[in-house]
Amino acid sequence: MSTLVLELSGPLQAWGDESRFVRRDTRMLPTKSGVVGLLAAALGRRRIDPIEDLAGLRFGVRQEQPGELVRDFQTAIDWRTGKAKPLSQRYYVGDAKFLAFIEGDSTLLEGLAGAIKSPVFPLYLGRRACPPGTRLVLGIRDGDIEDAIESEPWRASERYMRTQPRDAMLLYSRDAGPYDVSDEMVRDVPVSFDPRNREYAWRSVVHGWSRVTNPEGVPSDEHDVMQLLGGI
Amino acid sequence: MTHSDNTFIDIHVLQTVPPSCINRDDTGSPKSAVYGGVKRARVSSQAWKRATRSVFRDSLDESELGERTLKLVDRIAKRIRDLDPDRDETASVQLANKVLSASGIKVKVEKKKTKDDSDENTAEEHKTGYLVFLSRAQIEALAELAANAPDGEFSKSEAQKALKGASSIDVALFGRMIADAPELNVDAACQVSHAISVHEVVSEFDYFTAVDDNAPEDNAGAGMIGTVEFNSSTLYRYATIDAVRLSENLGSKEAAVRAVDAFIRAFILSMPTGKQNTFANRTRPGFVMVQVRSDQPTNLVGAFEDPVRPDADGGVLSAAAVELLEFAEAGDKAYGTHPVIDAEMVADPRALKMLRSKGADSSIGLDELVSTAVEATRSRLVGE
Repeated sequence: MSTLVLELSGPLQAWGDESRFVRRDTRMLPTKSGVVGLLAAALGRRRIDPIEDLAGLRFGVRQEQPGELVRDFQTAIDWRTGKAKPLSQRYYVGDAKFLAFIEGDSTLLEGLAGAIKSPVFPLYLGRRACPPGTRLVLGIRDGDIEDAIESEPWRASERYMRTQPRDAMLLYSRDAGPYDVSDEMVRDVPVSFDPRNREYAWRSVVHGWSRVTNPEGVPSDEHDVMQLLGGI
Repeated sequence: MTHSDNTFIDIHVLQTVPPSCINRDDTGSPKSAVYGGVKRARVSSQAWKRATRSVFRDSLDESELGERTLKLVDRIAKRIRDLDPDRDETASVQLANKVLSASGIKVKVEKKKTKDDSDENTAEEHKTGYLVFLSRAQIEALAELAANAPDGEFSKSEAQKALKGASSIDVALFGRMIADAPELNVDAACQVSHAISVHEVVSEFDYFTAVDDNAPEDNAGAGMIGTVEFNSSTLYRYATIDAVRLSENLGSKEAAVRAVDAFIRAFILSMPTGKQNTFANRTRPGFVMVQVRSDQPTNLVGAFEDPVRPDADGGVLSAAAVELLEFAEAGDKAYGTHPVIDAEMVADPRALKMLRSKGADSSIGLDELVSTAVEATRSRLVGE
C-alpha cells in the first residue's frame, strides 16, 4: 500500500458538503468530494464521467494550519435581463494549510501524481476562484494513510509554528477502516458530478490528533490556557 | 485526451490602488481576507470578472468570430445522430429543421434535382434563409433539445431558450450556471482568483457631513452625517485561461486565439466600479507578467504570504515585483518546469529601476506582451 500526499494551501479554500442555494458553506477540513473532483479534473474527466474508482480510494486529511472562516457577500445581476439575482453568502477557509492523503496502489498513485503535475483542467481548492497556492504534489509514501498521517513532517508557516506549543497536536480526519469506530458520518462521497443529477453518498470518518514536535514553539512548562485558542 | 497539449495562459498583475472601496460587503466595508496571519484587502473574483466582462464585451465584435453558415440544419442533424445513433438521416434532418424553425430561425427547403431528373432522385437541401452565426454550444443546445425531446415534441419557448441561453464567446470564457436548466451549463475556460493585497491593510473611516442647502439661516448643524470605510492597497491579481477548453467551448481554434487576446487586455485594463465617483481610484497595473505554460497553471500568491515590506526606496510595488519574479523562478527550478513563454510589462518607474539594478529587466509594451502570449497560444493550438 502507498499513500499520495498533497498539500492544499492558498489564501482561500472552500470545502462545502451541504451547500445549497444561496448559502454556500465550507467545512474547516477538505472534503473527499472536493479532492476527488480535483483528481478527476486533473485526469481530464468530464462532470458526467464515472468516478467510482477515485471515490473508492481511502482518503484522509491533516490540518497543518487551521486558518479562519471568511465570509463573502455576493450580489449578482442577470446579464440578459438586468435583474438582480438573490443575494448569496459564500464561506471560505482563509489562510489555511492542509495535507490530503490518498491511499492506493503505487502505480495508480503515480498516474494521479503525474496528472496533477500536468492537469487537463485547471485545478482549484473546492471552488473555482480558489487556485492552489502551491504545486500540490508532495510525493508518494510507502505505507497506509495512518502511517502517512503520523510520519509526514509538519507544513505550517513558521509564523504559525511559533505560536504553537513545543508539542503541537494536529487535527486529522480519515475514512474509517473496517475495525474503526466512526466518529462522524459525512455526506461526502461523490457518486456523480453530473450537473443534472449530482449525487453524494455517506462515509464514516475517524477524527483524531497527531502529535508533532515543534522546536520553534512556545515552551510548555506552564499551563497555558490560550493554547487551545491558537496561542498568543 | 493528452496532457502534452495543455496550454494555460497565466496572467499575474500587480496594481496599486489609492484609497478606495471598489468591492464591499453587506455592511459597506471593503472586502478583506486573512493571509499569512495578517488582514489583506480583497477584491472578489466575481467583481473583477464582471469588470473584465464589460470591457471584453465592448472590445470584441462577436460576429467576426466563429462560423457563419447556411447549412445549420445539416450540422444540427449530425449532432442529433451523434447523441442518438438510432435515428436515420431523414428523421434527424427533419428534427433539426423543426428545432431551428421553432427557435425562430427560418429554414428554406430547396428541391435539388439529381442527374436523371426523375422524382425519386430529388434530394432536399435545407438552408437557413440567411447566414447565421452560431457558436458550437448553441448548436449543441438545440441538438440536445431535439434529441432528448419525448416523441420529438418541444415547445417554441424551449427552442428559443436553447438558442438564447447558449454560448457566446463570453459564456465560453466565463462559463454559465443556470440552476433551473443544468443542460445549459457551460464550464468556464478561465479561472480568476480573488485579488488580495500583498501587504497588511488597515481600514480607515472617512467621517463626512453633508450640508442641507435649504437649511434655515440659524441652523449650524449638518443635513446628514455618516462614514465611508475605505482602504488602499497594492493588489496581486491572477487569472488563467485554459486555451484548449476555450477552443472546445467555442468549437474554433481561431476564435479561441482571438478571445485569449481580448481577455488578456480586458483583464489587465479593467477595474470594478464600486464607489469610483467618490474616490476616482482608477489606476493601471504597475507590473504585469504573462506566462504560457504547458504543465499546470501556477498561481504565485505564495510570494506574498509573508507580507511585502517597502524596499529601501519605500516602494511596495517594486518590492513585490522582485519577490514575484524570484518566487516564480524558484518554483520552476525546484519542480524542473519552465513556461513556454514568459513576458513582463513594467509600467512603474521605480520597479523598472529596481529590476534593472538586478539585471532582470526585459520589459515590453502592452501590445507586444499580448501578441507574444497570443502567438505562443496560436502556435500551440493551431500548430503554425
